[in-house]
Amino acid sequence: MTDKFDLVLERTIDAPVELVWQAYTNPEHLKKWFAPRPYEITECELDPRPGGIFRIRMQGPDGFDTGHGNAGCVLEAVEGKKLAWTSALGPNYRPAEMAAEGCESFPMTAIVTFEDLGNGKTAYTAVALHANEADKAKHEQMGFQEGWGTVAGQLEEYAASLRANA
Amino acid sequence: MLARLSRGPATVSELAEPLDMSLPGVMHHLKALEDSGLIRSEKKGRVRTCRLNPGVLASAEQWLVDRRSEWEVRHDRFEEYVMGLKAKGEDA
Repeated sequence: MTDKFDLVLERTIDAPVELVWQAYTNPEHLKKWFAPRPYEITECELDPRPGGIFRIRMQGPDGFDTGHGNAGCVLEAVEGKKLAWTSALGPNYRPAEMAAEGCESFPMTAIVTFEDLGNGKTAYTAVALHANEADKAKHEQMGFQEGWGTVAGQLEEYAASLRANA
Repeated sequence: MLARLSRGPATVSELAEPLDMSLPGVMHHLKALEDSGLIRSEKKGRVRTCRLNPGVLASAEQWLVDRRSEWEVRHDRFEEYVMGLKAKGEDA
């Protein structure tokens, strides 16, 4: 299920699942932890239902500003159990436009599952899925075997077209 | 060619050998790859040796490493925040 572009994080937190869910899905809470300091989330919308909006605006003291941000789409939201969202779609599943650069330039899907361990503790797994097509050429560590061969072929085609036009 | 170079440096004639392409054609092709920063080459005597530019790979690996660290650190903050909420709740 997971491939080389996926990041999987599994943790247990000493807090009840209701609180963990709130902190993850309530925009007012999310604003407080989502951005790496000194960056701040200055706007956040998260509507935890399928098709709901997930949008953040991140700003930093160095002038960094994502603007109002490209809105992503919630795919699944089961209270206390699962939240999945993607930046590849906008609200109501409309295909999204990716930004030209920066952290909103590549599509990603996040799937977070929560499990009540029953003793006031919660286990959760956060998976980040990254696209492995266009991103491959600039991003991948693929080790040059199968995947790299495909990219190499495309690059060679591109280089050949440059040559043809030269 | 890139697939071949991924296995290690090669001379122009080694790269040309399996290809149905004229030597000038191969040279032109290599120049395009070099201009795009994907490979570099050096000439010793009459032999030009090409290799993949290591920076291409390094930046690719770095991207995923950066994403991992972002993801881990984000959840560190999340946990810290939840523990803060919990502590407040207990005070109340």
